[in-house]
Amino acid sequence: MPYADPEPDDPQELVGVEWPGDESVTREMAESFADEFAQLGLPRAEILALYRQPEYSGAHRAWRLLGDDEIARIVDESLAVFGRFTWVVTDSADDEPEPQPLRLYRRGS
Amino acid sequence: MSTVKNWQLGREMAYPYDARYPERQFAFVFNINRCIACQSCTMACKSTWTFNKGQEHMWWANVETKPYGGYPQWWDVRILEKLEEANPGGQVWGGTPADARFGPYGTFEGQTVFEAAARTLSPDSARVLGYLPTDEEWNSPNIYEDNPIGKRGVRNAIDQTGEQLPVHNTWFFYLARICNHCSYPACLAACPRQAIYKRPEDGIVLIDQAECRGYRKCVEACPYKKTMYRGNTRTSEKCIACYPRVEGTDPETGGEPMETRCMAACIGQIRMQGLVQMAEDGTWAEDRYNPLYYLVHVAKVALPLYPQFGTQPNGYYIPPRWVARPYLRQMFGPGVDRAIENYISPSRELLAVLQLFRRSNRIIFRYQIEEGPKIYEGSLHGRKVELYNDTVIAFGKNGRELFRTTVEEPVYVRPNVHANSI
Ligand code: SF4
Ligand code: SF4
Repeated sequence: MPYADPEPDDPQELVGVEWPGDESVTREMAESFADEFAQLGLPRAEILALYRQPEYSGAHRAWRLLGDDEIARIVDESLAVFGRFTWVVTDSADDEPEPQPLRLYRRGS
Repeated sequence: MSTVKNWQLGREMAYPYDARYPERQFAFVFNINRCIACQSCTMACKSTWTFNKGQEHMWWANVETKPYGGYPQWWDVRILEKLEEANPGGQVWGGTPADARFGPYGTFEGQTVFEAAARTLSPDSARVLGYLPTDEEWNSPNIYEDNPIGKRGVRNAIDQTGEQLPVHNTWFFYLARICNHCSYPACLAACPRQAIYKRPEDGIVLIDQAECRGYRKCVEACPYKKTMYRGNTRTSEKCIACYPRVEGTDPETGGEPMETRCMAACIGQIRMQGLVQMAEDGTWAEDRYNPLYYLVHVAKVALPLYPQFGTQPNGYYIPPRWVARPYLRQMFGPGVDRAIENYISPSRELLAVLQLFRRSNRIIFRYQIEEGPKIYEGSLHGRKVELYNDTVIAFGKNGRELFRTTVEEPVYVRPNVHANSI
């Protein structure tokens, strides 16, 4: 994000074109994030925070375009499926091999 | 030029050297639907391999915002444009996506970077169509992308709306990239000193620093722009696939093949890397229960990045499901529609295999599913969904179990004080 206003004669200046899309694209994007993060096991408040805060721009843009109520509805729909379970990962008992001592190699030795 | 078989293009193509294939091939799948551009992967790589003087501009692993971002800037637009100039209107795919391991996306009827060079470049030593990015293009990874920063003069605070320029009204996505350790590397093809080689054991592509004289032919040739020139050593450098980890010789691995640093660091759990078995004809040997083989050849949800360049890249992507299809078809080929269809209505096996991402840092060589009961059936965003409590077991190189995943319904234990209340 630049601080200054655009400078058309700067060779580094971004020349952007907007790709057309419609509300269904925004909705698909919002649903996609909700599904993915619900599958990762994030709770409702954390998923909603992803949309509400500006750092995660894709989700935030969808939130601004669709509104808080609609995003909450989409998140709740994903959580109704994936939020009812927890994925449990069990490491095999002998999964952690003994670390080897650090050896240094000298070129040509 | 020799003639080699390119299974991603569904045809033979010209390449400066005869075909040689490694025993296994370093390969990876990135699920773009999940990437949050946190740049943890980028920094994991930077802090391991490129933190020295002269490497300031180097990001062997990078994440860029598509469609407008790129490192170096406009890398893909520029090479696509050059190919189009060399073969106007001819860069198209024919046939239809099929089930075969050879030509699963149809047949590419246009010209690769090798073929276009043979037609349009002279002298003969120019083997690959490419270009050298300018210093400015290298110097600003993520320039103008959506990194929120604070207002000028205000410390320790992030801008509340996060953006000024440019605002994409509808779609964009984050494309994470490393060297594809291509089966027909353009960097290797272009090197006049034959300083670049592909390892027979794992297909990792390396630059021999003692042989390199910094001619930058590889930088010019790599269509993905993943070799980079270092001014203070006057040599080119590139991603080395964290080979001590992949080999299991890094002390941390305890002798077991381990995924690269960028994979292990992934916060979004979008990455899986492995070593696939190669067949004699350069296709992937059938290995039904290798998770990468499954995602690329059975579920067909993971696609190569710009396969039309012709290097047969070994990085595969599950395309973002919301993005305009013509754009995705240009980037990942004609397999896109099938891949997204299969991803948004995942089969029971695909749902299980997706659970293997980032559960361990060891390389998974095989998985096994023990079927459990159906635990949910309903609809999600208008599509039918069924979930099963299947157990997915991952195995490492020597057939040892690494881990297993199952599904559990959360159990709420009522505290003693309320044990008998209704
Ligand atoms: S991505 Fe580029 S640098 Fe990496 S192997 Fe392919 S051609 Fe070479
Ligand atoms: S660490 Fe993973 S989620 Fe974060 S930017 Fe890299 S690929 Fe994306």
